[in-house]
Amino acid sequence: MHILVFIKQVADTEARIIIKGDQKSLEIENKYNINFFDEVAIEEAIRIKERIKDSQVTVCTYGTKKAVEALRTAIAMGADRAFLLDNTNLENHDPLIIAKILSSFAKREGFDLILCGRQAIDDENANIGAITAEFLGIPHVSAILKLEIMDEKKVRVESELEGGREVVEVQLPALLTTQKGLNEPRVPLITGVMKAMKAAIPSIDPCSLGIAKEDINTDASRVIVLSYEPPKKRPPVKIIEGETPEEKVENLMKVLKEEAKAI
Amino acid sequence: MSKDILIFVECKEGTVRKVSLELLTKGKEFTERFSSNLYAVLIGYQVKGIAEELKAFSDKVLVVDNEILKNYRWDTYAAVLEQLVKKYIPYMVFGASTITGKDLFPRLAARLNVTIVSDAVGIDFGGEGVRIKKPIFGGKIISWTACKEGSTPLVTFRPNSFSIHKRSLNGELIEESLKIAKDPRLNVVNIERGGSKKVDIQEADFIICGGRGMKGPENFQVLEEIADIMGGRVGASRAVVDSKWREYGDQVGKSGKTVSPKLYIGCGVSGALHHTMGMDTSKVIVAVNKDPNAPIFQYADYGIVDDLFNILPILKDELKRAKEEV
Repeated sequence: MHILVFIKQVADTEARIIIKGDQKSLEIENKYNINFFDEVAIEEAIRIKERIKDSQVTVCTYGTKKAVEALRTAIAMGADRAFLLDNTNLENHDPLIIAKILSSFAKREGFDLILCGRQAIDDENANIGAITAEFLGIPHVSAILKLEIMDEKKVRVESELEGGREVVEVQLPALLTTQKGLNEPRVPLITGVMKAMKAAIPSIDPCSLGIAKEDINTDASRVIVLSYEPPKKRPPVKIIEGETPEEKVENLMKVLKEEAKAI
Repeated sequence: MSKDILIFVECKEGTVRKVSLELLTKGKEFTERFSSNLYAVLIGYQVKGIAEELKAFSDKVLVVDNEILKNYRWDTYAAVLEQLVKKYIPYMVFGASTITGKDLFPRLAARLNVTIVSDAVGIDFGGEGVRIKKPIFGGKIISWTACKEGSTPLVTFRPNSFSIHKRSLNGELIEESLKIAKDPRLNVVNIERGGSKKVDIQEADFIICGGRGMKGPENFQVLEEIADIMGGRVGASRAVVDSKWREYGDQVGKSGKTVSPKLYIGCGVSGALHHTMGMDTSKVIVAVNKDPNAPIFQYADYGIVDDLFNILPILKDELKRAKEEV
């Protein structure tokens, strides 16, 4: 079975992010990780590979040259191959364009199953998986919590519904997005890290995938960032005083009713 | 292109979800400004009663009632919306950033070859052009984006982003019969509903959240009782979910749910960045923690420094009394 995993390198949640003077660009502290939900996807792919003979895991990302670090981590975890879809001069925020590039890569490589995280924790989008699936003309299931390979042509997955869960059987090839609860991503062993350091990671120009440059360059994006701003700061916390717990709760109720009008 | 807005309405247990009423309220503000039409799209089976309710909120209610649409599936629902968007050519389509919205809207965007902005929290159409407000990097940054003119962008909004105002419109009910087929590659084996009438955590106006300071799963009972009194939900920090005290569905935070209730009370929650990124858009935040240096106090509006086991029983009684007074 050939499993493709799409990943994204994202700023660490602790990284400092500064809005530049033009208010249209950001300076991000040099602390990056693999998107958490994508780590779950890599882990699941490796687990399938460990169970099913002759399986292969290919990881790819659309990103800057720096994103090779994330690909090396995926190899250290156990992926067989990794590719960088280099976005130099093609940076844009339109999920349709990114999905177009990823689906062209998938068509070129061939696959039985595609896994990727349910959403990226930087742009807070949850679009790439389902859009790519539509471009590839394959079914998808979002935010899966369980995955069982039935045979080479079918998987059974469990996913979250509004107020419940559903179990679905999906014919392969298919795309599944992953979320917390599916597995616990492994920490790479030192042997894996050594292997990853030596691995050759090809860099691919997205324009070589049969897509016209004008369809994917920065200007092609139909979503435009107008400006960035910091979130509204809350005033400093008001500590509710009182001699006893009863008094503290009474005083809290008073401010919630009268000041905050939250009750 | 018209300035009509089309809104996909979500239902749960036979009623319209609160988030959809929020979107209809905001959509109406938009169409009033541009003297255009607001379309509510209702998809399901035996939903005509609900359609009547929607007439008060919209100019036109497009109803697609078919047994095949009884349960949500991206294949059938996207097929319906695709046909309606092509027929009515709205200026924008709004949906909710819920489990359903996150599954359906990207698939629809790809089918229509239109762009999508997801998980927005605001929209401004007062000045030049339409600007969409969206938190990124876990709320550390707010971005304002726009979509190029010429196609119909899809925008999904986080629940609790707008208030609801009931209008007394008398919208026209239009029944649409469309071609819909299930994708045979997808076979739903089982649907398990929790049977809970409780509001979804992302839509809840009130959330009381427990952290590691709750000391054990048995102590969440009092939080459940408080949530029931307030008609809200219990949330949990990542540490609590990782310790298997609560289910993953209750997790508030970066790898869990993003919530924006009117009132959030954190009990024994330390305030790790992971957690606060999922709740800092709450309107009012209260923290109860015996450690005065807990980071949660940097995010809270009000704080009580005390043992939560002393505070919670009293808080429960006081909230109950306050509710009875209303």
